[in-house]
Formats: sequence, C-alpha cells, structure tokens
Amino acid sequence: MTYDIVIVGAGGGGMYAALEAIRRNPALKIAVISKVYPTRSHTSAAQGGVNAALANKHKDDTIDLHIFDTIKGSDYLGDQDSITYLCEQAPILIRELENLGAPFSRLEDGSIAQRPFGGASRHRCCYCADKTGHTVLQTLFEQCMRYGIQFFNEYYLLSIEENDGKCQGVIALNLRDSKIHKFEANSVILATGGYAKMYWHKSSNAAGLTGDGGAAALRAGIPLKDMEFVQFHPTGLRKSGLLVTEGARGEGGYLINNKGERFMSKYAPEKMELGPRDLVSRSIEIEIREGLGFESTAGQFIKLDLTHLGAELIMQRLPQIRELCIYFEGVDPILEPIPVRPTAHYSMGGIDVNTSCETNIEGIYAVGEGACVSVHGANRLGGNSLLDILVFGKRAGMEVVERASKSGQPKISDSQVEDQQKYIDGLFGKTHHERYDVIREELGTTLGENAGIYRTKDALTKGVADVYELRERFKKVKVADHSRLFNTNLMQVMELGSMLDLALCVAKGALAREESRGSHSRIDFPTRDDKNWHKHSIFKMTAEGDIAVSDKPVTMGKHELQERTY
Amino acid sequence: MKYETQVPQSFREITFKIMRYNPHLPGDQARIQEYKLTEALGMTVFIALNMIRENQDPTLQFDFVCRAGICGSCAMMINGEPKLACRTLTATYENGVITLMPMPTFELIADLSVNTGAAMRRMSERIEGWIHDPHQDERDIAKLEEPMDPALAEHIYEFERCIECGACMAACATRRLRKEFLGAAGFMRIARFEADPRDKRSPEEYYDLVGDEEGVFGCMTLLGCEDFCPKELPHQEQIARLRRKMVATAR
Repeated sequence: MTYDIVIVGAGGGGMYAALEAIRRNPALKIAVISKVYPTRSHTSAAQGGVNAALANKHKDDTIDLHIFDTIKGSDYLGDQDSITYLCEQAPILIRELENLGAPFSRLEDGSIAQRPFGGASRHRCCYCADKTGHTVLQTLFEQCMRYGIQFFNEYYLLSIEENDGKCQGVIALNLRDSKIHKFEANSVILATGGYAKMYWHKSSNAAGLTGDGGAAALRAGIPLKDMEFVQFHPTGLRKSGLLVTEGARGEGGYLINNKGERFMSKYAPEKMELGPRDLVSRSIEIEIREGLGFESTAGQFIKLDLTHLGAELIMQRLPQIRELCIYFEGVDPILEPIPVRPTAHYSMGGIDVNTSCETNIEGIYAVGEGACVSVHGANRLGGNSLLDILVFGKRAGMEVVERASKSGQPKISDSQVEDQQKYIDGLFGKTHHERYDVIREELGTTLGENAGIYRTKDALTKGVADVYELRERFKKVKVADHSRLFNTNLMQVMELGSMLDLALCVAKGALAREESRGSHSRIDFPTRDDKNWHKHSIFKMTAEGDIAVSDKPVTMGKHELQERTY
Repeated sequence: MKYETQVPQSFREITFKIMRYNPHLPGDQARIQEYKLTEALGMTVFIALNMIRENQDPTLQFDFVCRAGICGSCAMMINGEPKLACRTLTATYENGVITLMPMPTFELIADLSVNTGAAMRRMSERIEGWIHDPHQDERDIAKLEEPMDPALAEHIYEFERCIECGACMAACATRRLRKEFLGAAGFMRIARFEADPRDKRSPEEYYDLVGDEEGVFGCMTLLGCEDFCPKELPHQEQIARLRRKMVATAR
C-alpha cells in the first residue's frame, strides 16, 4: 500500500505527529504501525509530568530559565538550538493538550498545577496526579480516533527503505500471520522508543523498549548519536527493576546501607537523598561495591526506608508505591524497608536528527526517546522526556505535511521485500541451537557489569568483547516456535537482534569517551574534558555489520560551558 | 489497623493448568496443559508464564508489555477470576495449583492471548470517546488555559485511570449474554467525558449513545466489574449515576 506518511510507533511521539499532520491536512493518507495496541505503549508508564515554564506556581519562572536548566542538566552536551525550541514550545504544547482534554491537575486558582522536579530551578512540572503519561497517551489516541487515523497494530518494523538518499517507506511483519507488508511512503517518522531494555533485569523499561527503530536505521545507513548515555534511576525494585518514584524520597524516605547508615551524608551532605539522579545512583553503586550493600539471591541491594513516615502518610501519598512493593517485592513499606538498586531507565542517545527531526535520508524523520535531537545531552532532567515526545512529535508532523505535497511516487521493489522474507525464513533455521533468552540475559548482565553506572577501560573492553561474542552466537539463535501465527517467540528473537546492535554502540561509545559527563562516569577519567570530548558521538554500521564510532560538534548558543554543580 | 504482608517463606513446586487452543490452527483442539515449576520469592503469574515459555514451551501465547500493572495487556482468567497476570502473586494460591484461561467475551488470538485492543477501540469509537467541541480547532492555543476547579480536575482524572485491561468486561454476566453490551470500561469513558466541561455534548447526545439495553440500562448490577477492576474504579457508582441521568434526560 502507498501512503503519504508512515509513522512507526504509536506512543506519544508517533501519535502527536499523526495528529498534527492530519489536522493540517485532512486529505493525507497516514498509517501508524505499532508493535502493540497504542494505549499499551510505554509513554503510559511516565508518572512524573511535563515541564513547561507556565509560571503558574512560581511567577518568576521563564522560558530562559527552563532553557538554562536543561542545558546545565545535559552537562552541556545538548544542542542549544534544539533545547531553545523545546522550551519555547513547551507552554504551547501543554495548552494544546489541555484543549484536547488532558486532565491536568490544578492549583487553587484553577490554573494548571506545577510540581518541583530534579534539576529544575522552579516548580515547572505539569502533571495529571501520578499518571501523566497514561493520560497524555489516552488523550492523543482519542484524538487520533476522532480524525480516523489508520493504525496497524501488532506490526513489527523490519526495514527502512530508501533509494538514492530518498525515503521509499518501510517493510513490516504482521505478527498475526507472519506475513510481510510493504508500506510505501515518501515520508516516514520513526517514533520507536528507547533502548534501555538491553540492560534486561536491570531496567525499568517495558518489554518492548528494544531499540528496533535505531537498529533498522543503522541498517539503512542512518547514524545514531550519543548512545553511551543511559540514565540510571537510583531506586528500582531489587528483583524486577520496576521504578520506585523519586516521590518516595521526596516524602522523606531514607537510603540505608548494611550498617544502618544514611550513607548519602557522605556524598551529598546537604541534599542527602534528594541529590540529582546520576549522583544518587553513583552513591548507591559505591556502597554496594564497598561491601556495604545487602546480599540476596536476586543480587545486591540497599534499602529505601519509609517505615518512619508512618502508615497514614504512606497510604495517603504513596499508595501506588506501596502497591508495587507488595505486589512485586513481597514487602510492605509500612513495616519494612524496600530493597532497591539503580535501574537503567532512559536512553539519551538515539537516531541522529536535527531540530527539524530530519535524519540523513531525505523524508525519514525520527522523534522521541528513540531519537537524539539532542535536547537531553548527557543527562535528561525529569519532566523533559514527555515534553520531548510532544514537542518533536508535533514538529515532525509539521515537517511531513510540508513535504507531502512536493514528492514523487515512492517505490519499494519486489527484491527489497524478498530480502526481508529471506531474513524471516532464515530465522526459522532448524539446525540452530542458541537460546534467545540466555543470550538476552547474558547481554543484560554484561552491560550492567561493564557498561553500567561506573565504567572503566578494562570493564568496557570486556563489555565490547562480550557483545561481539553474543552477536556471533545470535547468528545461531533458535526460533523454537515454528508457527506462523502470532509467533511472539520470533518477535523476541528479532528484538534481541536490535538490542545487540545497539548494545555494541553503547559499549563502544562508552569505551571511546575518555571523560565523565552526565550519566557517563568513567572511574579512570573522573572529570569532564571539554577540550577533547565536548562533542557528540556518532555511530554508523559498516558494510560488514560492525559499528564505527566518529563524532560531531555540539551546537552552542548563548550559554557558555560552565562547571555543573548543584 | 492491620497490614498484611505476603512474603512467601519457602519455595514449593507449583502447578499451572493452562488452556491451550489456537483457533487459527486447523484441527487444533482446546485442552488443558500442565506445567510445573519451582516458585520463587515474589513470583507473579507473569514471571511464571515467561519461565514456562523460555524453559518448557516456546509456543505458549500470552500478552504483556509493561509488567507493572500500567499498560493493561495481561489480564486473564486466573482460577476463574479476571486479573492482571503481572500483579498476581503465585503465593496467593495456597494449594499451589493455578488454572489459567483466556478472558471470555474477547476475540481469542491463541491460548491466553485475546484481542482486548480491538474491543477497546470499537468501544471508544462507538461512544466517540474524545472531547467534542465544535470550536476546538479555532481556539488560540498560545493563550492562557481556561481555569478548572482542582476538585473537578481530580474527578475527571479519577475516571481516566482506567487501563482498558478488559477485566470488567470478562467479569460481566450481561456482556456474556449480550455481545453488544458496552461494559463498564465504556461507561467509565462516558462518565469521564460527561464530567468534563470541555466536552460540549448535550445530555440528549449522551442518551443516544448509552440510553438503551446495550448501554446503561442493560446492566444487571451483578457488580462483577466493581469486584475485579484492578484499578478499583467506582464502576457501580458511575453506572448508577449515568442511569439516573439518562432517565432524567428521557423525561
């Protein structure tokens, strides 16, 4: 089928793009392809909120302050032109969403409420109680239905097709019957989400955050950017990696080591448990490494103690957290401290795009966590991720409408389709014996150990070697289910392939970057080195399928480099 | 006040009896298949299903995305009750035998996997589950937002907490008898828009949507929706309120 626009991914970014495009030109033929039913997308898991300098709570907040906080938060790796656009658009986006029906929490005067968030100098984060992402996603899906946007749910992206540097569309697998479909289009928006699930059990992400868009982009010759920057959230549940929100510490929770000490006094004597995410994660990691953590069959951990807050406060303000702890850890935080450890949470890196969301191939755009504009640089601020998907989802929608009128007929050839068919058929190879779940587990383990919060040359060298070895073994991976009907086994194998390619970028980028910046902490290079490393990392796939690392300058603006202290 | 903790003390062998059936596979017969595995600390049905799929049977089909009770994908019949697999601890079942079936009233994809997505989309389209405002596109969005009472915002948000998992529909006897019955998730959506001053639909328009036996008047008040909603939404209160409202409109 031929479309004007094909959007891959039905989270907040993809749906905002679809909505913007159809509102600008109702005649456009748009297809949205998604691995899952749209409202199951990971946008729904975002709890905290969306930053926008509305100045409802703090009257002296300004867009300039939001810009500066974001640049500083990024440890000066974010592109200042993109960050400026992000922050300028923020109030417009909030009001647009509000108009579309998002139920934002309100202040006493009836204006949209704003809460404090890490790294922000003012109360700037707009929210819908503690399920902001869920309501934003609902609102966008409602509007997409209103405009009759066509969704192809349970389709898996196989390849991005181009000819002569021009977009021709995508090829996808219908998971229902394992049949291959081509979606020809002059404009494709990749809104495929992040890649932090590669850390597997050490990740807060949903199962689908496997970086399929990034992997397909690499294969199509589109570079990725800043892949080594992965944000670790300090308090994931020990076993599942599920998130215990920053709010638990905000309400007064203590972090405790095996001596019963509030160890944050050593690392952030003033802010204590409420230091910035990267600092608190690093502190927990040091405690564990120095033997001050707790042991269990599910790995080492430290404790988040809420028991002194009392039953009433916990029931009233942290009911969801209590529910999570009881369900997933078997611990009631009213009675016992919660076992936690840092968990891979957010991908700062992604498909290399500019402020207009354009990749190096004409007509192919990328948005959201799967893209790297870059507005988050080396460290994302809480409340800026939902903002990113909204602002740049909308921007991509505007761009493709401009483009749709002035492009020729897209064409995906039969041989291109056959290539993908061969790939799928090859996965069903009968002699293969490697288990995908074992490789996946080993990938998560080596990344956690060697490319985690603290990194060294030796560990990363091992990490890179491990990923190479796992990629070799993946060539012999077995698809144990031979059914062609809703073969989830096949999908998980393909997802593992994506994760392995992107893991190589993460590990290689981390090994190359000999400095510490934002989320990337090298023990052997403990300080930021602007002279040699104030630049983006760029990752390209070679003809042999290897990953080559190069770099690209950061776009500066009116804010000069400064030391980042809080 | 008493607080119960559910920390399993020892690891036992547990048995899963799982309905297997792929309606798309010619000649496939519905059957119950048994799997045994060793329970672990804090094991959920979702974790157990993944272990079964990875170590015992790669063909087993079930749905999941977020594993945190947020996305609404993994609802299934667990010992006869519709529940989210990711939030159900195996330790809850004292005799260690857990029977899993797909949720009724939804299109069966295979085994435990049902098409809740298609049903939810049909539901939303039927009630036109989005803000209706003829002037929506004309408004200047750069302007200050309309004030809204914080309590009202909270109220709307409460209805919006539905994750569309389908448990209420699987637990609904009316829906099992009457395929076109909207179901509690649909009424919750209606209640959400009806409460929202930004939605300009009139009471008559709402009446046209749900003022019949396929709508609120079909409910037999068996409370299945209320009993099994994993988000503990006030379904019966909403249905009762909608009914009163519809009756008032009909007059």
